[in-house]
Amino acid sequence: MSASRAAASRARTSALRENTTARPSGQWRLLRWVALGLVLLFFLAPIAYLALVSLKPQPEVLSGRLLPSRIAWENWPNAFGTVDVLLFLRNSIVVAGLSAALTMLLSVPAVYAMVRFRTGGSLLRSVVLSSYVAPPIVAVIPLFYLLKWSQLIDTLPGLALVHGLANLPVAVWLLESFVREVPRDIEEASWVDGAGRVGTLAHIVLPIIVPGLVAVTIICIILSYNEFLFALVLTYRPDTQTLPVGVALFQGDRLVQFGQMAAASLTGMIPVYLVALFFQRGLVRGLTGGAIRG
Amino acid sequence: MQAARKSTTTRRRWNTQRYVPALLVAPMVLGLLVFAVYPLIYLLILSSSESLLGKPFQAWIGLENYRAAFADQTFLASLLRSIAFALPVTVAELILGLAIAVLLQHTIRGGHIVRTLILLPLMTPPVMVAVAWKLILSPVGGLLNAALLGFGLSDKPVSVLGSATWAFPSIALADAWQWTPFIILLVFAALQAQPVELRQAAMIDGASEGQVFRDITLPLLIPAVVAIGLIRFITALKLFDLVYALTQGGPGFDTTVGSFHIYRVALEQFNVGYAAALTVLFGLFVSLVTLPIVILRDWSLRRWL
Repeated sequence: MSASRAAASRARTSALRENTTARPSGQWRLLRWVALGLVLLFFLAPIAYLALVSLKPQPEVLSGRLLPSRIAWENWPNAFGTVDVLLFLRNSIVVAGLSAALTMLLSVPAVYAMVRFRTGGSLLRSVVLSSYVAPPIVAVIPLFYLLKWSQLIDTLPGLALVHGLANLPVAVWLLESFVREVPRDIEEASWVDGAGRVGTLAHIVLPIIVPGLVAVTIICIILSYNEFLFALVLTYRPDTQTLPVGVALFQGDRLVQFGQMAAASLTGMIPVYLVALFFQRGLVRGLTGGAIRG
Repeated sequence: MQAARKSTTTRRRWNTQRYVPALLVAPMVLGLLVFAVYPLIYLLILSSSESLLGKPFQAWIGLENYRAAFADQTFLASLLRSIAFALPVTVAELILGLAIAVLLQHTIRGGHIVRTLILLPLMTPPVMVAVAWKLILSPVGGLLNAALLGFGLSDKPVSVLGSATWAFPSIALADAWQWTPFIILLVFAALQAQPVELRQAAMIDGASEGQVFRDITLPLLIPAVVAIGLIRFITALKLFDLVYALTQGGPGFDTTVGSFHIYRVALEQFNVGYAAALTVLFGLFVSLVTLPIVILRDWSLRRWL
């Protein structure tokens, strides 16, 4: 019975969707494409410039000319020779994955309780935010001692732990508005059907807030993947250092290897791009979300 | 009859699972104790001591560091600079991000590829972001200057980052490039989470697309936008990377924001005791400035949800 109900509302949802994205007139469509083009130009031109830099011979980087006189392919293999890019990449992926999982596992149930049962009240909400207001430059010192004491210093799980906790305020604050929008009567219906609070969270609330979960997970992955200060202070062997720290190593005492640095950076962006691309599919209102809503 | 049964069942669940909310929150609270409370206590102790980097806790001086901070003109000016940077930058990025997110809602085919492409600035390693903009803005052989000279807009090289007028706008431009995608992604998700039924009903009642956006979509979006803006405002107040890499706080003290001043005190003057006091004060300052936004958010939630 519930399957047929779901199917019926799914059909309704897709019908709704087609109607709301009604065909705009030709002029508007043209304007939209122009606007989208400008947006992409602004965000992608510096990336394209980085790709050009990665193919320039070192002396030509600051020559003011856009195109190199010859294509310096050697920057790419050289980058992998100067520092162990693949090792840094592995470390970054492990830390970002573990820390994003930790952030989401801690924040999602907590946000649900805070919104639905007002657990902790406004005090807990402000305490969550207060861990985010101070610049980390000095605050990293006590964390250094804590990791040293717990023997997690200079390890991937140690850095992932710090990143995972550091991103908690971001996740809690961003998830809150998504959870709040879940209609209360749907949850009460689920309680009547005999589901507990955890069951309601897992089967009713989570499917509805999929876009929020996806967006916040992507943000947590990227924030950890690109975090620099904690990674710099809390890890110091190539076995544990992450890519942002590795990229900084191309800045020598006098000479910055711009081409190699750009090649290493672009390499590092590929995995996180693919992950985000994969997750993005869940970002557009899923059929599940629509079905439960409808 | 049915209503009565419903309420007893609900209440029974409610009573037997009273401990559940506390359990749901407990792991996060434990994490916060480790990550927020312990460092705060450490900072408070450090700030009441005379401490050098590598030689901490040489003497207890009580509130002396705090007294010094309130007389430190460079610090007070750096706080004002942090706001003067963060406020316009956050507002501009929110407006831009909101507009782009709405624009993206209408492109269906290949939408996920376009949306992920737009995230690329956020995925660029921060050191590389700074170096890229430094290369673009450099007075010698930089891309901007090559263009200015090439198009005859200027007859001699311009040092944008060394100019009192242009240093902050240049940092703001790099910041907007790097962080607007953050806002786009989250606003887009918030738009996706909105119930379509309301919009649909309004359309059936004959509302135009513009009216639906102004009267339904936008008001529903406000709580999410305020939360996103708050997080972005805090990160903008804490701005450090771009200043460190692009201007080193200069020219003069023109781009010395709060975080950068604290960095100087801690790692160039090695005065970590004083830097700890500045960190605590900076945290209080950020809490104070963001308080109106937190209140605005509570109000917007009561108003619209």
